[in-house]
Amino acid sequence: MINLLKMDLHRFGRNRMMYLLLLLFCAFQIFGIFMMKKYEQPVEGAIPVSRLTESEFIQYNISQPPSWMLIYIAVFTIYFYMSEFNSGFHKNYISMRNARLHSVCSKLIILAIFVAMMFLTMLIADGAGRRLFFDHTALGDLATLITLLIGQFLLHWAFSILILCIAMIAKNLLISLSAGFILALNVIGMVLAALEAQLTGIHLSKYLLINTLVRVKDFNSTADIVHTFGVAAAAILLFGILAVRYKLKEDLN
Amino acid sequence: MTDCMIEICGLTKMYKSKTAVRNADLKIYRGEIVGIIGRNGAGKSTLLKMIGGLVYPTSGELHFFNRAAAGEQSFFERMGVLIENPGLYPNVSAYENLNLLAMAYGLGDRNAAIEKLLQLVGLDSKNTAKVKSYSMGMRQRLGIAVALLGSPDVLILDEPINGLDPQGIVEIRQLILELNTAGLTILISSHILEELSKIATKYVIIHQGEFIEVLSREELQQRCEERIELGVEEARAALPVLERELNITKYKVVDSRTVYVYDENIHIRQIVKVLSEQGIMIDSIAKHKQSLEQYFLERTESAGERHD
Repeated sequence: MINLLKMDLHRFGRNRMMYLLLLLFCAFQIFGIFMMKKYEQPVEGAIPVSRLTESEFIQYNISQPPSWMLIYIAVFTIYFYMSEFNSGFHKNYISMRNARLHSVCSKLIILAIFVAMMFLTMLIADGAGRRLFFDHTALGDLATLITLLIGQFLLHWAFSILILCIAMIAKNLLISLSAGFILALNVIGMVLAALEAQLTGIHLSKYLLINTLVRVKDFNSTADIVHTFGVAAAAILLFGILAVRYKLKEDLN
Repeated sequence: MTDCMIEICGLTKMYKSKTAVRNADLKIYRGEIVGIIGRNGAGKSTLLKMIGGLVYPTSGELHFFNRAAAGEQSFFERMGVLIENPGLYPNVSAYENLNLLAMAYGLGDRNAAIEKLLQLVGLDSKNTAKVKSYSMGMRQRLGIAVALLGSPDVLILDEPINGLDPQGIVEIRQLILELNTAGLTILISSHILEELSKIATKYVIIHQGEFIEVLSREELQQRCEERIELGVEEARAALPVLERELNITKYKVVDSRTVYVYDENIHIRQIVKVLSEQGIMIDSIAKHKQSLEQYFLERTESAGERHD
């Protein structure tokens, strides 16, 4: 496991796509803040975007579809997995003991690192952009910010594992990317929520991964914390197990 | 060569309704070079993938060193596999591809192991060119180096000389023979039958997923050897005449009416003459010579007719 992780880390560190995505994300995040400043319109009774704390700003950004962070994560996940799969390199080591299991676990760790780097980039870009254009860098309550970051990190990591499952099963770049975009736009979540509201009156769709991810949360409420962390843990477990089970049974043609 | 390394018992692989390999039985002994011969889509690659642990059999058993492979993943670690195209990252160098794999294997002195392997397959370890710029021959060599990393006991090569120039073919052949001399057991599939006949010690002819013949190098040579096929009323009566009058010693009695004569210096007319003089009736007589390709085609065609 450690050896496969070392190999994946080495590949990750030399992956130009990863740096490009982080750079693009950083640039567009700062550009987004600039645009917010330029077209900011005061809404009566609401705090202007330029006066939001970092916690509130992150929640505001993530709740605005499409979530660019999800799109970047989807692109990286698919690229990182498919570049190995399409080259056939995995066939060279897959005969090693437990290599199938360890290979998936290693990919999950790499995805966690990438998601963490995305959040770090977001914090840096937000800090720089808000400083430059809003002249306001207040973080807000630190405990709330940390809870929010951990919760969102877990939800985004769960999303990347879901995309990994799709890439593994579809074995096709275009199909995987299309599925990634559809999920990042939360088309399925919105359709299900609408159907649910029309037909049943039950609100189970709020427990869907992307719906939970984009929903503005109140981290002073225990129910919201349980909801966020519960959905994240369940999704990580479910999609993680699915990815491992699929790889264990997969014929490598 | 008494050490049975791999035993395949009733191995079958089905993809939905299509059977890629059906009920295959084979024993592979230490030090053998087993040549798998078959047309495109005959099931060669699927068979090699099952032995290499890439594809799971639908039914049947694989035994390594007389122990069932199911649940014993460690056996597959002892295989070096090059199936179809070499699995290489195109945007990095040969050294970097090997370095990544060496990391996965957890090799200690990676640099020394990689340089040794690259030297063995005739590639320059200092060459920083990306693999995508490599010729087909260079890729195949690198693929073999990748398969050899981790010092396997068994090397599985699927079409390793595909796309190589004559010089490359000779070099890969020599490399395979050297590796075999060093103790590796090798499974190799190829379309280039004459090339395979120069290295293999055992042949498996596979057609439409079924093994139609497994034979040793000696058996194949005997079957492809030039011979006179003689049909007589009674072989028992003809043999003393042939031995006495023509000094024929290399022959084989196929049945009570058929004799194969392998003596290259004997002509058909000499046999006809001596047998006629002794009053022995000849039913048929003909010279027979087959290349490995002819033999393979004959066997697969007859198997195809049986299937039809």
